[in-house]
Formats: sequence, C-alpha cells, structure tokens
Amino acid sequence: MTTEELEQLLAQQPIALLHRLARGRVQRHFRAGKRRLIEVLLRHSAENRAGFESDLMTLIGEKPTRTAPPLPQAPAPRKPKSPAPQRRTTHRSVEPESHEPGVTLSSWLEGLGVPPPKTFVADAWQEEAIAKLREGDVVVSVPTGSGKTYVAVEAARRAIAENRTVIYTSPLKALSNTKYTEFSKIFGADQVGILTGDRRDNGQAPLLIMTTEILRNLLYDAGGGEIDIRLDTLGLVILDESQYIADPERGVVWEETIIFCPSQARMLLLSASIGNPHDIAEWLTSIRTTPCHLIRHSTRTVPLRAGYLHPNGKLTPLFRTVGIPHGHPTHLHPEAKRLFLQYEDETLPSGRRR
Amino acid sequence: MPPSIHPVDLILALRDKHLTPAIVFLTSRRACDEAMQSFDHSHIVLPPPRQEAIAAVLDKVIAQYPSIAEHPLIPTVQRIGVAAHHAGHLPSWKIAVEELMRHGCLDAVFATTTLAAGVDFPARTVIITQSSIRKSRDFMDLTIGEVQQIAGRAGRRGKDLVGFAIVTPSPYIDLNVLTKGFTGHPEAINSQFLISYPMVLNLLKAHPLDQIQPILAKSFAQFQLNQRAEVLQRKLDDLGEQMEPFGPRVCTDWITEWQTFDQVRRQKSHRAPIRRHEPPEVAARFHFLTPGRVVGFARGRGVVLRQYRSKGQKSPMITALREDGGITESPASTVTEVSDRILDCVDAPVYPWCTPDSVEDLLHQLEELPGRLPELPILIPKDDEPIPDAIVQTLGDFACPTCPSRSACQRDYPIAAKLRQEQHRHVKSIQALRTSLWHRFQEKIDVLQEFGYLTPTAHLTEDGEWARLIRIDHSLLITELLRAGAFNGADPAMLAAVMSSIAHDDDRPGAFPRVSSGLASLLGQVRKLAVSLSPHEDPPLLRADIAAVTERWIGDPTLTWIGLCKSTTMAEGDIYRLLARTLEFLSQLHTLKVTHPGLADTASRAIAALRRGVLEELP
Ligand SMILES: Nc1ncnc2c1ncn2[C@@H]1O[C@H](COP(=O)(O)OP(=O)(O)OP(=O)(O)O)[C@@H](O)[C@H]1O
Ligand SMILES: [Mg+2]
Repeated sequence: MTTEELEQLLAQQPIALLHRLARGRVQRHFRAGKRRLIEVLLRHSAENRAGFESDLMTLIGEKPTRTAPPLPQAPAPRKPKSPAPQRRTTHRSVEPESHEPGVTLSSWLEGLGVPPPKTFVADAWQEEAIAKLREGDVVVSVPTGSGKTYVAVEAARRAIAENRTVIYTSPLKALSNTKYTEFSKIFGADQVGILTGDRRDNGQAPLLIMTTEILRNLLYDAGGGEIDIRLDTLGLVILDESQYIADPERGVVWEETIIFCPSQARMLLLSASIGNPHDIAEWLTSIRTTPCHLIRHSTRTVPLRAGYLHPNGKLTPLFRTVGIPHGHPTHLHPEAKRLFLQYEDETLPSGRRR
Repeated sequence: MPPSIHPVDLILALRDKHLTPAIVFLTSRRACDEAMQSFDHSHIVLPPPRQEAIAAVLDKVIAQYPSIAEHPLIPTVQRIGVAAHHAGHLPSWKIAVEELMRHGCLDAVFATTTLAAGVDFPARTVIITQSSIRKSRDFMDLTIGEVQQIAGRAGRRGKDLVGFAIVTPSPYIDLNVLTKGFTGHPEAINSQFLISYPMVLNLLKAHPLDQIQPILAKSFAQFQLNQRAEVLQRKLDDLGEQMEPFGPRVCTDWITEWQTFDQVRRQKSHRAPIRRHEPPEVAARFHFLTPGRVVGFARGRGVVLRQYRSKGQKSPMITALREDGGITESPASTVTEVSDRILDCVDAPVYPWCTPDSVEDLLHQLEELPGRLPELPILIPKDDEPIPDAIVQTLGDFACPTCPSRSACQRDYPIAAKLRQEQHRHVKSIQALRTSLWHRFQEKIDVLQEFGYLTPTAHLTEDGEWARLIRIDHSLLITELLRAGAFNGADPAMLAAVMSSIAHDDDRPGAFPRVSSGLASLLGQVRKLAVSLSPHEDPPLLRADIAAVTERWIGDPTLTWIGLCKSTTMAEGDIYRLLARTLEFLSQLHTLKVTHPGLADTASRAIAALRRGVLEELP
C-alpha cells in the first residue's frame, strides 16, 4: 500500500476505528479530531508500517457492516483486496438511486409550527399503563418525550388517595430536583418529599423522591432488620429512566432495587426506547408475585424529520423522504450526500492535496 | 471551507427557517463556551420585549437560588437569547437555563451530550455535530439508542407539529453512525451485575449463606445468562440427535477407545523424528561447528566464525573464514571434514562475528596448521530405530485391530469426536452460565473473610456489622482506613478532604491550592493502604490537589464560593459535584453513630460546614 492509499483508507474509516487504532500508539489521541488523528497515525506508521497496516485491516475486518455498504449482485465474489478504493467505486456505480429525486426543502419544512391548543386527552397507552397497574407491575418503553410522566403522576395520585406511600426514583440528582419542583406544583408542597444522603425534606410526605441508590439503601436497611420509613405502607415504586439498568457502573443498583422491592408494592418502570423491553417485563414476571405488563411503542407523538446543514449554511433534507425512512439508512437525499462527500473531500488530508 | 459552521451563522440560519428553539449538541464543554464567546462581537440583539421576558424568568429563579444572581453569563444570555448548559455549570444555573427554555425564551442552547439523558429539556430542533462520545476515557460511537435519545429531544408535545434533528458536520463526524441511529431499532440492553463488598455484607446480614444462590438467581443478570444457557441447551439437544447414529458399538464408549488406540498408533509412527529435511550426518555435525572450529571444505580449509539457521528454510549455516582471507556464508552440508582443532577467536556481536584483530590472528594460525589434521569422530544416529517394546505391547491391549466394527469406527471417528467435543464444550458453558454469579459472589466472600468482615461460616463479624453500612465506591478502602484508625483525631476539614480525594475519579488536570502538611501525610498513609488493597479493589486517584479544595472550603468558613472557585482552575460545576459527592460519602460515615461515635460526629460537623452557600440551595 502506498502512503497515499493508506491515507485514503484511513480517511474513509469512522473516527472510532481511528481511535482504536491509535490506542497505545498515540498519546492523548482522544483529543484529536479526525484530520489530525490521520496525520499523527501516518507519521507514527512509519515506525512499523507492516504492523500498522495489518492492525488496520483487522479492525476494518471486524466491522464489515460499517465499512462496506451492501455490494451489488456481483457475478462472482471477488476478494476485496483493497476495500477502500472498491468502496468508493461501488458507492458511485451502484447508486442509480442517487439520481432519484429527494423531497424539496420546502416540502420538508412544511407543517412546521405550533399546534392549536387542545384540551388534554390521555393517550391510549397512558390509560392502559395506569389501568394495568391495578393488576400488577408495568414496564413502559416508549420514545423520548412521549409523556411517561403523566403515567407516573396519575399512578401516584391513585396510590396516595388509597393512603399508600409512593417512591419515585431517578438516576440523577438534577432530575430528582426537577421532578421535586414539578410534583410539588401538581400535588402541593406538603405532599412531596425528597431524600438525599444527608438531607430529608418533608420525609413524611406520601410521595417521596430520591435517587435509585438511596432507595436501594433503604431496602437493605429494611432487609437487615432496621425499622425504616413506612415500607409496609409502600404501595408504588416508580423507577424513571430505568434503561439505566444497563449502566456499566450503576446498573446493578436497579437490579438490587427490583429484587428487594417489597412484594405488596407495585412497580412502574419507565424507560426510553430499548431493544428488549419484553426481557425486562418477563424478568419481573419471573421474580415477582404479580405478572408484569409491557407497554411499548416506537412511534413518536411529534413526528421527527432529519436534515443536513452544510458548514456554508446550506440546509437540505438528510433523507429522500420527508419523514425518517426506518430500516433504510442508505436512503440519503442526493443533495445531502453530495454535500457531505464534498465536505469529506475538502476537510480530509487526501482531499487537500487534490 | 471551515471544518464546521460558525455558531452565529448557525443561529441565524435556524432563525431564518423558524427552526428555533434549538439544542445544539457539541463535543465538549469548551466547544460550548467558545460558541458562547463567538457571540461577543455579533450584531444579534434581541428585541427589548424578549430581553424583558428573559429577565423576568431569571428573576424568579434567582429568588430561589440567589447564588446565580451575579452569574457572568446573564448579560450575554439576555442580549442574544442563547445559553450554554453543561457539567461545568452550577446546578442552579442549569436549572435557570432549563427554565428559560421551558418558557420559550431562548433561541438556542449549546449543550454537551450529558444533557441527552433524563433532563427534561425539549426543543423544536436538535443539532448534532458528532457521532461519538467519550466514555470512560475512550471515544465510542453513539449507539442507536443514544442517537434516538438525542434526536428525540426535538419536537415538543403540544408546542410543535414536527421536530427536526439536523446533522451538521465537524471533523469528528461519521455520517453512517447517525443515519443508522435515525433509522434503526435501539439495541437490546444487557445486565451489568457488579458484585460489590457492601452487597455481599448486606445480603449475608439478612440471609443465611444457603439462601444466597436463589437470591442471585433472581437478578436480571441471571435471567439473561439463563437465556443464553437455553440457546446452548437447544444446540446441545440438536447435537444429541446428531450423535444418535454414533451410539454404543462393540464397546460402549467406542469414541474414547478408538481415540486412544489411534493416538498410540500415531505415537508409533511419530517415533522417527523428521524435524527438518536435513541428512542425519549434517544434523550431527552441526553441533560441533562452533566458533573457532577448523573445518575442511571441498576446496581448502576454514575457521567457523558463527553458526546459524537460515531465515526461510531454517537450514543449518555457518560463517567461515577461509584460508585466502575471504569470509563466506555456506550451508553446513558443504563442510567435508570436521577437525578436532579449535582456534582462539574473540567473539563480536556483529559481522564478521569476531574482532578484526582476531581475524588477523586466525588467518595467521590457519597458515601455521599442519597439512593433515585428526578428524573428529561424530556418531550419526540411525534413522529407523525399531519401535520400543512398550508401545508394541500397548497396541496389543486394544481390541480395535481385530474388532468387527473397526472400519465403521475408523470412518465415523472424525465426525463423532467433533460432535462429542462440541457437546462437552456446551455442557461446560451451560454449567458456567448457571454458576458464574455464585462464583463471583464467593470470591468476594473469600476476600471479606480474609479481612475479617465475615466469619469462616460467612456470618458478619463485629466489623462486618458496621462495614455493611458503607455502601459507596471504594468501600473496602474506607472501612480498612477506619479499622486502622486513620481518622483518629482528624478534624472535619481533613476527614472531608480525604473523602473527596477518594470520591473524585476525574483525571482532568488543572491548577489547585496546596494541601496542609497534616493532610499531605494523611493522604500518604491512605495511598499506601490503597495500593496494598489493589488486588481486591481498584485504588482511587487520591489527588492531593482535589483534597486541598475541600480542605479549604471546610477549613475556612469565611471563604466565599467565588473565592473558592478563584483558587482553582476547576470548573464551578465540577467543584460543586466534588463537594456534593463528598457530602454523600460523609453522610455514610455519619451512619456509624453507634460504633464510631467520634468519627460520626466529625463527619456531621464536616457536613454542616460543607453545606453552606451554593451547597445549601438544593437538597
Ligand atoms: N396525552 C397527552 N397529550 C398531550 N400532551 C401530552 C400528553 N402526555 C404528555 N404530554 C406532554 O408531553 C410532554 C413530554 O412528556 P414527558 O416529559 O412525560 O415525556 P417522557 O416520556 O418522560 O420523556 P423523557 O424520555 O424525555 O423522559 C410534556 O410536556 C407533557 O405535558
Ligand atoms: Mg421522563
């Protein structure tokens, strides 16, 4: 491989791959941008070119889906000797689609605006979640901004009316504070309390807000025999942002909390869209006394559109369609594609020389 | 062309298309701050009514959190209607920005991706400038879930008919990651069940040892391990079916029988070692071709300077000094005579492998040698030795050679053996999946027993009883420090300072105040202990400069927040988080009232001193 070829190949790799390549080779590589990283890597590769190239090829090989776009029906499987140039050529030759017209900017922008004020009507899934909580635990996995808080509030309202204690947990103190303010407005300040490691504000209130760690500690203290706040009157535990169960460091706290949550209390897990919410629901069903009901959907309430803004200020749709073409990441808008290729050519070292 | 769009142009473009309010996600705090600064000389100025609206909202927030009354960013925010929001800011300032955004007062907020998770903070448009984020000191591509979490901030229910997620390139971007993120399904999430010392102590406090395994079995971790085990179990069932034609034959376990027989057979045929393709006499001679040896070639004599094996073929080679003064590289097979003479030669590590003086000397000695030299008698091993009796006998122990199913066994063995090997592997993996959590738990038990927190029967010792109340990172270090009496007589400032150096896990460099000598020596002691515990628990960074920040804040009650911030280059938000985390650690020490009254008291005094000013504003 000539240096120029190598440089081009590097330029075509995702930045994450370059960082992996730089690990152990370049100090503080995570501070460098793509262009700089390529320069440094090239300089470094002089020391052990063969080793460098083979590492690069291994890394590229590990991510075949990322680097190689779907190949056309080639007559015979050719060995991709140098995947880089091939990728470029296939990119161009395979895409008659790129001549397909995309939507115009004006139709992409159409419909932008403020909806007329409406009286609040709960969504069907919100009603369902609240209703199902009567029968057992509920896991909700819906897109960001769908209205999970409404479910939490209504469920809490009902439990409080039944003289039950409600605990609401969030992963972040900042979020706890926001919810404290929000819930105080809804239920009245005397109805809401917040617990942190060293402070209890209104700790006797029926609705208690805390981080998940604090709840876990309460449950351990109860398990260890210490009498603590009204765990016997606990009627509902709400775990917001429960996709945190997959957090490398803190995830275990969510598991502990769910395992040790008293059986008489209902659990309501609110989570952003995740790939396997049925696993979570099935797991809860398998370890708790009541069955767990899963509420999930992936349609956004407010439709989302994706765009591309070129550094020169030109705005274009990112995809050929107005909405997001689910399942078709390659359906790029021809204009967006052209501009982005131009951007890469102009900003990456291989382009500058041309 | 600039590598990315200028912030002022960006905001103008968004306004022009009615795409505000927007959240602009940038790669770093610095990028956010620089974006704010770039408005300093811009002509963007909000009309007075909007400026007043901002002031009104800010006034309300300031009434609740006075600490931000003098915030240096207030004038800019008010003038241009744009703000920054990142972890370097005080929580109260972030609340102010969120509140402004909720009231629709701002056109844009520059934020880092930390905002994407959990903060209630929607906008009409989201601008994405990166496709990877820094996680535990490494850059990682955004997952599909993360892209959707970020993009999902666009489009407020009730305030927008549509939301826009707009990509604008920077040198950090990989467009594929983002388009996949927009159009794909979020990834499945996986359990991350870390077993910690406090978990073990607390479980054993509430449950006897023999009930632990069923409790661990209730974890999501085990649920997912079981799923994997079931997949393997299905494969195992499949293998079982495939194995059916290979059931018992003349012997029940014919596979093992044949395998052993086959091995012995092979061993026999392996007896003649064909190490390299070299004649035995060359191999035998090669041992003697050491530096200084006088040898004969077809033409003339020479002295061996070194022996080696060629790079490719590994054939035996020598470097020799010839009578005519030439130095040659030749295969060992070209040697016709090996004499019994060895001349003195002084080795050198590089060509010609001996010193120049030595070359002169050797040439001289070669000339002096007599015409005939006695040859070295070299024994050449015979190639085909008979198979030792022992092996012949073992072969006789097998029934295979005369067995009626011999040919079937011979034919089926490769497939059957492979299938059975796979079966064994799956059985082992399933076993491991079912028991791995329990094993990891037992490992922790072992350590806790070694340190005396658990009795040999896995009950809590006196120390275990209080140690289980320390439920934070580095719990082993902290409980060991208490047992060593490291904090006896320490004042609140020192205790808090050490706790903050244990709590702090960021290696961002900076300039900081100096520590007192008392604290320095205490930190030295802590460091030593942390290193000695490192086989059982990763040591914390234990930065003295960080400890010094806390020491100052607690040690000097008249120090203002601004004064503290000025004494370091640490960002306000980082100092706040450091102290908040220290508070958390101290409050755990405070729970040890019964067993460590003195320490609990010091901790509570430290908490009282720490919670003042900004740190008092939020729970
Ligand atoms: N049925 C509804 N009709 C109209 N608006 C609603 C409805 N339910 C919720 N909302 C509004 O939707 C907005 C977003 O709701 P919310 O904050 O609960 O979302 P979320 O699902 O918790 O999102 P996140 O993933 O960001 O936590 C709120 O302003 C809320 O008032
Ligand atoms: Mg929410």
